Amino acid sequence: MDVQKSAMETTVAARLNDLVRERGQLLPALWRVMEEYRQLSPELLEAVSLFMDIPYAEVYGVASFYALFENASGNTPMYVCTDVMCALQGAESLKEAAKANLGTKVTVHESACLGQCDYAPAVWSGSHVLRRATADDVTAAVEAITHE
Amino acid sequence: MNEVRRLLPGKQTSSSPISKERLVERGFDRALDYALALEPEEIISTVTKSGIKGRGGAAFPTGVKWSSVSKAEGSVKYVVMNADESELGTFKDRVLLEEDPLGALVGLVIGAHAVGAKKAYCYIRGEYREVEQTLARAIETLRHGGWVGPHGVEIEIRRGAGAYIAGEETALFNSIEGKRPEPRVKPPFPTTKGLWASPTLIQNVETLANVAILFAHDLHWFTAYGTQDTVGTKLVGLSGHIRRPGVYEVPFGTPMQEILDAPELGGTVSGSGRLGAVLLGGAAGTFLTPQEVKNTVLDYPSLGAIGASIGSGAIMVFDDTVNLEWVVTKLARFFAEESCGQCVPCRIGTKRILEMMETGELWTRTSDLRALGQAMKDASICGLGQTAPVALLSILERPELRHHA
Repeated sequence: MDVQKSAMETTVAARLNDLVRERGQLLPALWRVMEEYRQLSPELLEAVSLFMDIPYAEVYGVASFYALFENASGNTPMYVCTDVMCALQGAESLKEAAKANLGTKVTVHESACLGQCDYAPAVWSGSHVLRRATADDVTAAVEAITHE
Repeated sequence: MNEVRRLLPGKQTSSSPISKERLVERGFDRALDYALALEPEEIISTVTKSGIKGRGGAAFPTGVKWSSVSKAEGSVKYVVMNADESELGTFKDRVLLEEDPLGALVGLVIGAHAVGAKKAYCYIRGEYREVEQTLARAIETLRHGGWVGPHGVEIEIRRGAGAYIAGEETALFNSIEGKRPEPRVKPPFPTTKGLWASPTLIQNVETLANVAILFAHDLHWFTAYGTQDTVGTKLVGLSGHIRRPGVYEVPFGTPMQEILDAPELGGTVSGSGRLGAVLLGGAAGTFLTPQEVKNTVLDYPSLGAIGASIGSGAIMVFDDTVNLEWVVTKLARFFAEESCGQCVPCRIGTKRILEMMETGELWTRTSDLRALGQAMKDASICGLGQTAPVALLSILERPELRHHA
């Protein structure tokens, strides 16, 4: 366990190596780790805390504030906007479509307004946006991730 | 005929949005060369004379803000572009940054020169990943031109991570500083104590784009559109039951009905084809009845007379089949989830409102809702708590909207 933990610390430290170790770089640091691991587990936050020299409680307090850092499964997140404008255009059915063929590599999150109301309903995969998404689009996106 | 394209590039614009050619095509190179050769006071004087008001929602006079930061004591100052666009129904900054990212950046560089800042941040919401990449490339273009870098101003992009409240200016500072993005008590205002307690100029994307087009032309050109109260044009975001959802640039003073109906703008109501209501300005906006839409223009005095404001420029359109109680319940859930929990009126108030909405008590506990709403307006630390009850209270003032329920 200790060996594993130190391996994680080493990897995280390598990922953050060129960052200045100051409080103002905490959010960029968390993003880097999030992009690598798709989650911010207690072990990862501990590694960030050690590298940045910021108390764990502070790091946890910041990380847990943000919705995009909530992804305990470590799967690829898929954000279905279910806010007012997308709900008017059938977002509920997209959520069902995404959940129907989920498998083990994707986690579906409901999202507040994604700022894509002109292309409602919208789904965001974490890297790009599916605009005027259909149930078929969402199913295809889930399958694409599953077969990656 | 009511669509104008000044902030948004003209439809004949052919250059890539992030290219040096675009800087030239839009007159932004000229704007930079002209403005950066001026004394800071001259820049601020021009911005003040232009009458530009902040486009993030508060409509604070931009020149006054620039002057305050410029005069504030401190050897280190910052400028910040607020691109944390997370307001419900709001996507104008996204479209502006997709179509013309250099405009807002040029405004940011001019702002830095005017207030004496060497460091600038662009804070962009984490969900706008593709826009962030465009922005990064546009910054590189300005770096090649020598406007960004050690001899000009350094610009750093900061990516948010999904927190509506981080768009509140002091919460945004805390986010950049690596703290929890909880709003600070004001005063002190950002103009004297912002990022790392230094004087900070923070502006919305659209406001900065206005500065860029002002300096690319002149006061005479800039003031050709608008009303006596508010000069210039406004980006509005049409969504919901509307045939042509999208961002449109219209002069202040454009009739609300025309924005919905003109063939080059909204192109009329879709869905049932009959307007039920408009939610203007975002989640903390105001519901307008069809009659009010008919009788108002897009300007602060006209909308202020019926208790409404332009807010972020979001125009959410509902046909007459939509149950507005459902909309208000969704808004209540949004605020209850996004409240940072720091102050009691907002933390508890948003929850109580949500409970009342979920039990269908919108029209039966009106005096309780009004009292609670007033307490939140009076006692919350920041704009989120102060404005969370606004849409709800606006519907209580308009009982004719109840028949949708």
